[in-house]
Amino acid sequence: MKKNFIILNVNEEERELYVYPHRSLLDTVRDELQLTGSKKGCDEGDCGACTMFLDGNPVTSCMVLAVDAAGRRITTIEGLSNGTKLSPVQQAFVEHGAVQCGFCIPGLIMSGTALLTRNPNPTEEEIRMAISGNICRCTGYTKVVEAIQAAAASYSR
Amino acid sequence: MATTYAVVGKRVPRVDAVDKATGRSIYGSDIYLPGMLHCKILSSTQAHAKIKKIDFSKALAVPGVKSIITAADVPDIMYGTVGNIRDRSFMARDRVRFIGEPVAAVAAIDEDVAEYAVSLIEVEYEPLPAVFDVLEAMKEGAPLVHEKLQEYEGSTGLRKGNICSLLTATRGDMDAGLSEADFIVEGTYRSQPINQGYMEPMACAAEVEPSGRVTIWTTTQAPYAIRNTIAETLQLPMNRVKVIPLEIGGGFGAKLRVSFEAFCVILSQKTGRPVKMISSREENFTAIGPRLECVATIKTGVKKDGTITARQVHAVYDTGAYLGPGVGAGVGHSTGPYRVPNFKAESYAVYTNKIWAGSYRASGVADMVFAVESHMDEVAACIGMDPFDFRLKNILEEGDRSLTGEVIPTMGLREMGEAAKTGSNWNTRKQEDGWGIGVAFSDWKSGTGASTATVSLNEDGTVSVLTGTVDIAGSDTSLSQIVAETIGVPFEKVVMAKKDTDAAPFNGPTGGSRVIYSAGRTVLQAAQDAKEKVLRLAADVLEANQDDLEVVNERVQVKGSPDKGRSLAEIARLSSSSKYGSIMGQAALSQLPFAPIYNAVVVEIKVDKETGMIKVLNFTQSQDLGFAINPNSVEGQMEGGAVQAIGRALYENFIFDKGKPVNPSLTTYLLPLALDVPPMSTIMIESVSKEGAFGAKAVAEPPGFGAPAAIANALYNATGIRIRDLPLSPDKVRAALKAKQSGS
Repeated sequence: MKKNFIILNVNEEERELYVYPHRSLLDTVRDELQLTGSKKGCDEGDCGACTMFLDGNPVTSCMVLAVDAAGRRITTIEGLSNGTKLSPVQQAFVEHGAVQCGFCIPGLIMSGTALLTRNPNPTEEEIRMAISGNICRCTGYTKVVEAIQAAAASYSR
Repeated sequence: MATTYAVVGKRVPRVDAVDKATGRSIYGSDIYLPGMLHCKILSSTQAHAKIKKIDFSKALAVPGVKSIITAADVPDIMYGTVGNIRDRSFMARDRVRFIGEPVAAVAAIDEDVAEYAVSLIEVEYEPLPAVFDVLEAMKEGAPLVHEKLQEYEGSTGLRKGNICSLLTATRGDMDAGLSEADFIVEGTYRSQPINQGYMEPMACAAEVEPSGRVTIWTTTQAPYAIRNTIAETLQLPMNRVKVIPLEIGGGFGAKLRVSFEAFCVILSQKTGRPVKMISSREENFTAIGPRLECVATIKTGVKKDGTITARQVHAVYDTGAYLGPGVGAGVGHSTGPYRVPNFKAESYAVYTNKIWAGSYRASGVADMVFAVESHMDEVAACIGMDPFDFRLKNILEEGDRSLTGEVIPTMGLREMGEAAKTGSNWNTRKQEDGWGIGVAFSDWKSGTGASTATVSLNEDGTVSVLTGTVDIAGSDTSLSQIVAETIGVPFEKVVMAKKDTDAAPFNGPTGGSRVIYSAGRTVLQAAQDAKEKVLRLAADVLEANQDDLEVVNERVQVKGSPDKGRSLAEIARLSSSSKYGSIMGQAALSQLPFAPIYNAVVVEIKVDKETGMIKVLNFTQSQDLGFAINPNSVEGQMEGGAVQAIGRALYENFIFDKGKPVNPSLTTYLLPLALDVPPMSTIMIESVSKEGAFGAKAVAEPPGFGAPAAIANALYNATGIRIRDLPLSPDKVRAALKAKQSGS
């Protein structure tokens, strides 16, 4: 099998890579770029821990081939904060006790951010729907939903 | 609480939250070492078979494959789960006993090559008769899972056929108790296999230095258990095995013992390179022990006025291919938090040809809470009493004795029950068709076991804390709060040091609701010791009596003359050249007194009689937890435990077909999603303990207990049908409703 040359645009940085055609975007970003904030919980699109933005839309990056992501705008959890300044959703997760083991949290924060970007005033039901592709085993979701509700204030302002 | 505190009891953000929210925390799979190889496992395809031959010559010839190991490369030393018989090895030797049991491991330059090599390994099996159902396995003449059971080392007890453990307990006079009763109620209750569902699959790495020293990076609740098991079985001195615990991406008991660390160590020994293993989600169903089922028969004698006179319990735990934890709960949790004067219980663990039973949130207890609390409602129905009143009539009181003989200290069981009743809609029932409400109580004792701590005061007045107890649910934050409060510094001035097994002596695992009660008191004492040393030196420096000193705003000063003092930073700087040396407090504790905790769950449901689907409308729970060091963390534990229990009640079910896992993926093993979660009301009852730091007792286990029984009881309340086996899935509910309609 031959590797393909691709250019990935990750968090506004262009990276030149040789990758096998079957390699997932998740594995490539983690193993080649050492951006390990996106997590592999299932590798089959069930758990949502690997959620990234592709051209601004949330995707489970374990189900996207790296070669298909070439030339598109990729945002990972590492791209949400600005230096040490947290994004509003990140800040709200910290303040509202929504973080427990933390393994699902990058994915939940990405899904929550995607929701608030397109709908700054979601209902509780809409929040729960937006994160229903992210499995969290620790929190029971209650504080996660509260955090996204709290973050909405800074989007709808 | 009359006392006001500056730091404990406050909702401070978790110390690890920012790293986790930005994706910077390092979990097992995030370790990358220069030159590292990747490990993949070949697992058994047979439920029970002799291994005739393993041929890995083709696999070894694949370019990039560096080493392949089988049982022949692992010292022939058996191990067991803590305190149990030594019945297992890291790798199947001569025979496999369950589908998924590791048979060989490959180290290669990347995961793809390792996986390809695994597919080329040929194993010749000779199938043996197998047994899958736990009650079948108990019968005389059932195929034996372990032919040499009698020869195994380790704790003794009944070993007969496939029975590998039996625990019993009696109290009073069973026959007299039953004859005193006006009614005798009996029922058999069955729980289902459950996967822990932690989000982070097992992942670890190991590096063996040329000197032979071993370093293991892993996701674990029990770094010392891993060190000790690896050292014992691979015949290494413990001080040459360093386990570095990484962030734990959920454990719930599954990460209390070795997973794949031994393979990485052996492969690193053989190749001279670091070896990393990231397991697949499927392997976390098929190779890491879940809970298996429990069948419990309960018989209770009761008087017309609702007084329980006697109880008899017979519990059988399926322990799969190797003996796991949990069988003790069949005895220890067979009465619930109630007075039962005459009592007899026996609890068996029985081998079957399924994956071994592992730990999950107080192993074995949840099964008994489902049985006991379903049964309590059946008894209440028999005598026509309100299920809540029946419970409150029989609950334990201060001064009673627990089943294990401890005297019950001051606690908040009654207050907890009343709070759940008034905090829910118990007294304002709806008359809607399909609406029902149910309750369940449960109990647990705050976990103990070894903890150590050192508390150091640095020359800038900051405080460093080192303990070997790892953080899975926010304990580093709560322990920091305890230290800050005790010494008298702001929360931000305390930092927990990074842990590894070289840095601190043996600490017990993070499990069994142990940390806040046990490690909490340990850091409290270490902080008190540090403060004592601060005051001792300050007394010399200030030429004052030590008893006249106090710490205010990070300064040691003489009471009443605040200008006569020194900052903590100055004291720390002075200490290094003082006759006492640097300021370091320490403590090491193990057993602590009995500190029981109690939980009540009230669930409202709506049953769709057409589909059999149960919708949870409201979830109220109250818990006696002593004192909430960090209410955010406490609520998080209570909410999270409750949602796991809802999953267990309604749909989670790890299914086997002749020992083969049918649904080993998150597509087919259903975990609760955000949309499945009802409004949650959590009530914290702070009945402070004399023993725990600032009165804290334990939190984590009981919130995961009550929901299945409470929902089964609500189903009975709504429809009159009683389902005694979990989960309460729509097909079962619908069939039961149909059977009731047709009068059968």
